[in-house]
Amino acid sequence: MSSILRSISCGLRNGLVKNSGVFSFARRFKSEEIPEEETRPTVRKFDNVQRSNLTDFGKYVAECLPKYVQKVQLTAGDELEVLIAPDGVVPVLQFLKDHHQAQFENLVDIAGMDVPSRPYRFEIIYNLLSLRYNSRIRVKTYTDELTPIDSCNDVYKAANWYEREIWDMYGVFFANHPDLRRILTDYGFEGHPQRRDFPLSGYVELRYDDEKKRVVCEPLELAQEFRKFDLEAPWEQFPNFRHANPATEEIETGNKEEK
Amino acid sequence: MDGYVARKELCLNKIHNMSGIAKKATGLTGLAVNANPHYYLTALYGKILRAVSKMPQDAAYRRYTEQIVNDRMLAVNNHKDVKELEKAIGNGQAEELILQAEKELILARKMLGWKPWEPLVKNEPPTQWQWPPAEKKQIA
Amino acid sequence: MAAREPAKRIIQQVRPILSVDREEARQRVINLYKAWHRTAPFIVEKFDIPKSVPQVRQKLKEEFIKNKDVSDVRVIDMLVIKGQMELKEITKIWKQKGHIMRYWQESIEYKPNDFLSKFMSGHN
Repeated sequence: MSSILRSISCGLRNGLVKNSGVFSFARRFKSEEIPEEETRPTVRKFDNVQRSNLTDFGKYVAECLPKYVQKVQLTAGDELEVLIAPDGVVPVLQFLKDHHQAQFENLVDIAGMDVPSRPYRFEIIYNLLSLRYNSRIRVKTYTDELTPIDSCNDVYKAANWYEREIWDMYGVFFANHPDLRRILTDYGFEGHPQRRDFPLSGYVELRYDDEKKRVVCEPLELAQEFRKFDLEAPWEQFPNFRHANPATEEIETGNKEEK
Repeated sequence: MDGYVARKELCLNKIHNMSGIAKKATGLTGLAVNANPHYYLTALYGKILRAVSKMPQDAAYRRYTEQIVNDRMLAVNNHKDVKELEKAIGNGQAEELILQAEKELILARKMLGWKPWEPLVKNEPPTQWQWPPAEKKQIA
Repeated sequence: MAAREPAKRIIQQVRPILSVDREEARQRVINLYKAWHRTAPFIVEKFDIPKSVPQVRQKLKEEFIKNKDVSDVRVIDMLVIKGQMELKEITKIWKQKGHIMRYWQESIEYKPNDFLSKFMSGHN
């Protein structure tokens, strides 16, 4: 997004694009004021110009795709996150990839997240990079064990293995994936290891059996003290940070009033 | 149609060679030099505008895309020189601009099927995006 | 009938994985079973396991019977998908002999749980 600004200043200097849309586009989406310098103690200071650009772009995405965008937020100061309905994975990613103002051509990673207390326990997180505008964006959606998510393999070829990984680690089924199968676990492995209810030690152990001359698989026998699985959220053990700076700040999109 | 394009390209190549400003390469792997970007850009922008015009008048995607494309179209019409054109649009080389336009065209056509200007398909469950995550009893 | 209406609506709301109703899911299970059944001679031959074709088929039946009480269509679909993937792992010979033999779990020594076997093994 910074390059939008760059192109504006460039255009003004040359007097070439006085009436250009890039200019009016940026002016339309420019926040009224750039917030003050961050003074609270922080590990990493963020760039306020970039921050306001991202805010504007978040609003832009939400305005263009009101059907799918549920929420837009900034995380850690200057990371833009778009939270979408699960049905909108392909349209939103396609828009971010192909639209003139976005051009997020690179799929950096797809991550999964498991929060068992939520109604839809899994989050699927797409990290995108736009080389053209030197900008990153994160798209998040949600699902559960039995709800398939559309594969974005047709949008990003890179998604193939990432989605296989999510399938293997979390058991989220991707519809229309060309080659969905395990990628990290061994053949015959049962369960999905990254789920929060999968014990750290696993269910089985393998050993070489001298009589049978092959590797055999046996159920794990654990002493009782290893069977206590702490499912408490670790951040609750740091009460001092309960009132720390909020991790995310929601961006008002204007879509909310219509509900 | 193809023959027409080829002839036009040939003609333009000659002109470029005569004026000694023929571009040898884009410097980007797999992206060949386009001899006549104005022609392609105009055609693609026309197609985008036609695709977008099938959307409802107040769709944000339609408005912004029309705005962007019209401005680029204007730049294409105003600047006959490719270098000037690239500078005016300020979004990469002419060949890249063609790629971008092709993508936007495909996107616009897909958008007609998706209809993203409609109201939100589904609200998230109340505590879905809450962080730190809500306790289970809070949900019930 | 009135009591069934809301239940139906809930079913319609969730997105199906493959099958839209019970019957379709059942058909998928049967097709998968047949495919596995036909693969049994191939498994015995290619993996050189110390089992006969009837034994393999017996095991196959046991594995399917394990899930006989599953009634949710989507769970059935998920199991069918996993079964198909496993079958592919076998027919492509991605699995090896050890993986195949894992189905029999011969090396596991089950703990004695009735009186006589506990007595015989020296546990109290």
